[in-house]
Amino acid sequence: MIRIRNGKVYDPANGVNGVIRDVCIADGKIVAEVDVAARTLDATGMFVFPGGVDVHTHIGGAALNFARGLIPEQHRKATPIFHSQYRRAGIIGTTPTTFATGYVYAGMGWTTANEAAVPVLSAKHTHEELHDTPIIDKTCCVLMANNEIVLDLLENDEQDRAKQVVAWYVWAAKAYGIKAVNPGGVAGWKWGKDCKGLSDVIPGYKKVTPAKMISSLAQIADELNLPHPVHIHCNNLGAPGNASTTIETMKILEGRRAHLAHLQYHAYGGDDWFTMRSAAVEIAEHFNANTNLTCDAGAVLFGNTVTVTADGPWQHLLYQLTGRKWGNLDVENETGCGVVPYVYKEKNVVNAVQWAVGLELLLLITDPWRICLTTDHPNGATFWRYPEIVQLLMNADFRKEQLKQFPDSTLSRMVLPELTREYTLSEIAIITSAGPARTLGLTQKGHLGIGADADIAIYNESNDVAQMFAHPRYVIKSGEVVVEEGELRKSGEGRQFAVKPEYDESIEDFLRPLFQQHYTMSFENYPVSCDRVHNLEVHACKYCGK
Amino acid sequence: MSCTLGEVKNRADFIIYWGGNPAECHPRHFTKYALTPKGKFIPRGRKDRTMVLVDIRETMSAKAADIFLQVRPGKDFEMLTILRALVKGQRINEDAVAETGLKLEQLQDLVARMKAAKFGVLFFGMGLSMTRGKHMNSAAALTLAAEMNAFTKFVAMPMRGHGNVTGADVIMRYTTTYPFGIHMGRGYPRFNPGEYSTIDLLVRGDNDATLVLGADPGATMPKPAIEHLKRTPTIVLDPKVTHTSRLSRVHITTAATGISAPGTVYRMDEIPLPLSPPLKSPYPTDEEVMRRIREAVQRKEPWYPVPTSAPQMT
Repeated sequence: MIRIRNGKVYDPANGVNGVIRDVCIADGKIVAEVDVAARTLDATGMFVFPGGVDVHTHIGGAALNFARGLIPEQHRKATPIFHSQYRRAGIIGTTPTTFATGYVYAGMGWTTANEAAVPVLSAKHTHEELHDTPIIDKTCCVLMANNEIVLDLLENDEQDRAKQVVAWYVWAAKAYGIKAVNPGGVAGWKWGKDCKGLSDVIPGYKKVTPAKMISSLAQIADELNLPHPVHIHCNNLGAPGNASTTIETMKILEGRRAHLAHLQYHAYGGDDWFTMRSAAVEIAEHFNANTNLTCDAGAVLFGNTVTVTADGPWQHLLYQLTGRKWGNLDVENETGCGVVPYVYKEKNVVNAVQWAVGLELLLLITDPWRICLTTDHPNGATFWRYPEIVQLLMNADFRKEQLKQFPDSTLSRMVLPELTREYTLSEIAIITSAGPARTLGLTQKGHLGIGADADIAIYNESNDVAQMFAHPRYVIKSGEVVVEEGELRKSGEGRQFAVKPEYDESIEDFLRPLFQQHYTMSFENYPVSCDRVHNLEVHACKYCGK
Repeated sequence: MSCTLGEVKNRADFIIYWGGNPAECHPRHFTKYALTPKGKFIPRGRKDRTMVLVDIRETMSAKAADIFLQVRPGKDFEMLTILRALVKGQRINEDAVAETGLKLEQLQDLVARMKAAKFGVLFFGMGLSMTRGKHMNSAAALTLAAEMNAFTKFVAMPMRGHGNVTGADVIMRYTTTYPFGIHMGRGYPRFNPGEYSTIDLLVRGDNDATLVLGADPGATMPKPAIEHLKRTPTIVLDPKVTHTSRLSRVHITTAATGISAPGTVYRMDEIPLPLSPPLKSPYPTDEEVMRRIREAVQRKEPWYPVPTSAPQMT
């Protein structure tokens, strides 16, 4: 039992905006009161936030592990974590090891993370890594938009059977939601091609288009009542002028809920690399109008990192542009991944525009409940740099200082210099916790109301916002103090959440012969059994939003 | 640039095996994945595929090959580099070609076939990665495949060793970021192949003791390594009494994984496969033994100073 006494509480989901009050914890949950015997944390002069929720990150599984292996020269220079009584050894850097990932998220006051891209074929690997990611609770989204069985069904207009198959796959992977990456493009990449036009026929097919896949998956997510909407990495990522593809995607989704991933990478104007510019104004306008949509920022920060994505064709292009190491791993029948180490430089005009666009979207999108703070870790920047973005959002003068380093020819490609909005602490609590929890449909996360999971970050009030958010004074997870005075205390293992959508069991009779022919693993070995998912909690298929 | 084996089965119409002998070392490779099975886009199976074998001598695998290219021993790197140049249409020095033991026409034909393929795959084995040039050969093979992607779909994959070496690699990477050759002596992972890899450590005699799990170094390693294993405490966990067991202090018989012990094995393309053991064994599993050893070690008094609070970190 714990009483957090006298802190300034920010709980936007319950309308609490910087009110000084006590927060009480018992048995891992927020409760109304605890008795005098409870441990008291004196939070005078401190802010009390619900624990951070990362709606889109890459923290474990085949693709990220592939990236780890590609960059040993970076790990040598990265901060290590020393083995101790409470800590397993590890390496932080751009692709933290599993134990390090849990410790560093918790160390920042973030307590839940969504692994955004899981191939079903290697889902067992993902769950092994998530098992070894301590403290935080985890969900994952399973890759569906380039699944060949689903593509074949959509080609033949077998919409209902496609829904059964997707539902089966979600449970087989023990996933929480559906992910779509470059729909049709990754399927095209199996033949070395891409699919940039939403009405283009996908290479290898005669009829089915990315538009069909996008609308089908959105419909399926709704019909299956998944707590989190279809999570979409749009076609044409990274390309100058791709804002038109993103807007077209929004039109296709009209009337259906959807979550647009790392929107920054999909908000560019211009015709080529020389004329590339921000299209954040246009994207924000359409996004603001389409209230069925949520998104996450996918913001970029200058510095060294590694790009890891299922968007294979884009990564081939990045390899050709940069000449850096390139890793690629296509997954039979399902998806692929590409890995390219990358540095975002201030002097690179394209990178400067990317840096601006992430911030512009966060400032131009009017409803903070609909945009979540992310960097598509590790693609835009590593997750332990989120406090730097918070600082840029809260302090317009600091932004102005950063903009001074760019020449006029760069500044003319962005609108950031004109934006004076400053995020309040309440809005920060929304984009880092309450909003993503709501978007994920995790009703017990992201708030400090009675019955919520006791996941809490307590920060020392400070003018240096980046420092403040990087070093919470206390972090509580499931009612236990895990970080205190800058040190890791106990280390629980966190839970994994999955959903079991309804499907007709006879779909297995349809799938079994296809597996025999096209996969290289027996059908019985393919699904992830429940005992492989550590601390599994199956959530109801219930869309809880508006 | 790589893929899972199902992609090979479904799409690959052009296969190169380089420095490997799958017929004898990966006996199900041809029939399960690479040559004979009908794939989604390979309706006629073997008839829709062309297989090229590159090796220093004709092995059993040559019988299955459409084309056999006999490269001179130790000249793989040169041959790969010439292929890279031919792919890009660069001029080749005739002497360089002669060094490889092959004719320019053979190499030009190979490149033409590679470019004409819908989906090419280069499988490379220890005949490439462990001979003169070592990892440079592997790098050259991977770079050739990467550069081929400007023309057509092309992947390269190593033919990995037996047992669960891939699984060990995967787990080492996600717990330490490094695949092998990891030194934990300072309390965090450090990596330096050549310094911390097994043969180097044993030959130099850097370690005080050795625990051998699922391997038989006594059968294959150089003499100084074996001498070191003999004169320091060596512990072996294995279902069988191996060469290494015979020179170790302790041998613990454990249940054979996959036959009477459960677990997960990672296939050579890094796909995890669950093991369902059909038999029972009177012996403990490797996992059980390791847990008991660890618990016993944890009960011991540490001989080194144990920090009671976290060290300062910048």
